[in-house]
Amino acid sequence: MPLTTILGLLGCGLLCLALAVAVLRLRRRPVRVRYAVTLSAAVLVFAPLGDLSTAGYVRGLTGDLSVATLALAADACFGAFLGKPLFERRDVDALLGAAAAAGLFLYPFALGWTPFDPYALGYNSIVFITVLLLLSVTAWRARWTLVVLVVLLGALAFLGGVYESRNLWDYLIDPLVVLYALFALPARLVRRYFSRDASARA
Amino acid sequence: MKAPASLIAIALVFAALYARALEGPQPARFAPPRGPLHAAAPPRFESQLLPNSSAPSVHSATAVEAAGGLRAFWYGGSREGAADVAVYTSVYSHRERTWEPERALVRRESVQRALQRHVRKLGNPVAGRDAAGRVWLFFVSVSVGGWAGSAINAMVSSDEGATWSPPRRLIASPFLNISTLVKGPPVQLADGTLALPVYHEMLGKFGELLRLDAEGRVIGKVRLSWGRSSLQPVIVPRSETEAVAFMRYAGEPPARILMTRTDDAGAHWSEPVKTTLPNPNAAVGSVLLAGGPLVLVFNNAEENRETLSLALSKDFGKSWRVARVLESETQLPRAPVPEYSYPWIMQDRAGNVHVLYTWGRSRIKHAVFDQAWLEGGG
Repeated sequence: MPLTTILGLLGCGLLCLALAVAVLRLRRRPVRVRYAVTLSAAVLVFAPLGDLSTAGYVRGLTGDLSVATLALAADACFGAFLGKPLFERRDVDALLGAAAAAGLFLYPFALGWTPFDPYALGYNSIVFITVLLLLSVTAWRARWTLVVLVVLLGALAFLGGVYESRNLWDYLIDPLVVLYALFALPARLVRRYFSRDASARA
Repeated sequence: MKAPASLIAIALVFAALYARALEGPQPARFAPPRGPLHAAAPPRFESQLLPNSSAPSVHSATAVEAAGGLRAFWYGGSREGAADVAVYTSVYSHRERTWEPERALVRRESVQRALQRHVRKLGNPVAGRDAAGRVWLFFVSVSVGGWAGSAINAMVSSDEGATWSPPRRLIASPFLNISTLVKGPPVQLADGTLALPVYHEMLGKFGELLRLDAEGRVIGKVRLSWGRSSLQPVIVPRSETEAVAFMRYAGEPPARILMTRTDDAGAHWSEPVKTTLPNPNAAVGSVLLAGGPLVLVFNNAEENRETLSLALSKDFGKSWRVARVLESETQLPRAPVPEYSYPWIMQDRAGNVHVLYTWGRSRIKHAVFDQAWLEGGG
């Protein structure tokens, strides 16, 4: 099996695990239950069901997942495993904000509403790389560590050709993380605003 | 991340990205069209149905010139979109003037296993040959939903179709890589690689030209059109820099074949314009014949696919003359379902022009004729 296929399946398996731990609310369970359920789910996700595993069926639907999606999936899985999140809330908010902004720029144009196709910039465009560099330095100055990490890991994965795609966009974001960001980010910010308000009143 | 380690990491990674971009593929011109190697014989026209021993429904034929004939591909099964649809192949012998019995080359289950992705159905194949002589077969597959959920796969053969590489998925869309389809054949580029005309069907309908590397991976793309009404582009180069593309039209009346041009080897394309030829939201085929005339095979109606005609242009698409009618109400025999669609056309090295098309959804039909027959009509 090609390495690109193995890595694609691993990514989809990680997403399945993240969904499982979220649905089962594992973080609130005893440690032994967390470990047992997570390991069992990992086996189930990769066990063959006919020609394919569950990860293979999911891969048919989602394709190979971006580093941003994998970072959030890893955060959910490790959070369930360790009992605390892998990344700070502020970091995750910044990543969701960046993913939402990037998605709002990429996807409407990629639907062909104008002659401009931002997805084509992902094929080694100097302009795109320069904009990404400026955004990375800005994120570094703002201490948005997770954003910088996702950009660097996405770029390294692109350079290493770990997926079938030769387009840098595919390594950075995908519709799953953008949709999640568009729904989750406002809710997270509102929740944070009210919790800060409540603690200030106390 | 701590400075300066994080800054150094950013610098190193972006230096590598810049280096990759600077050493990336340079723009490639179209491979110059070749003329026939031999003079064509006196006017000749023949047609026949391809063998079909098993599939009640067949569609979307394509072919490459092979030693001594053609190798054709099409999809067939119990019905369009059924799980049992496979891509079939058959070989035509110029000398025998017959097609060998068809065989299933690609099945859904084998594609699913090779790609390690769920595959629900197979669709349009297109075939082409690269400068090294390898035969490429691109075909559509769908994991979820209808044709708007399609992705493209590629297989390559270095022994004239005797054996094939496992299918590989082409990544061409940011939307979970869905909604990219093929219909028009690939175009050879001067650097030996291929450019593949494709189209997008989800929410918008527009054409694109993908640039592939030697392994068949997508390494660039350019938009041929935009909006919600153009699809199934067919590219016809005239020189290393000039080409015209024709597209199926799915917009408001009047329904006409769309055309766009490039004069910088496909880096930029003009805004698509309607030709004078009708189009009932159906695929067209086109080829540049030896000596310059451009030929289009198309459904000569705005509402249905019950006629199939050949039009000639001597000014590279500006004006057209309908030269011959391949199928119409008066042509016999008529198919049980009078639909003649999804034409494919090429001129072989001997100068003969081959057209393959769906005949009544139940058979693929092959028409072969020479330039003298074509130009003598109308």
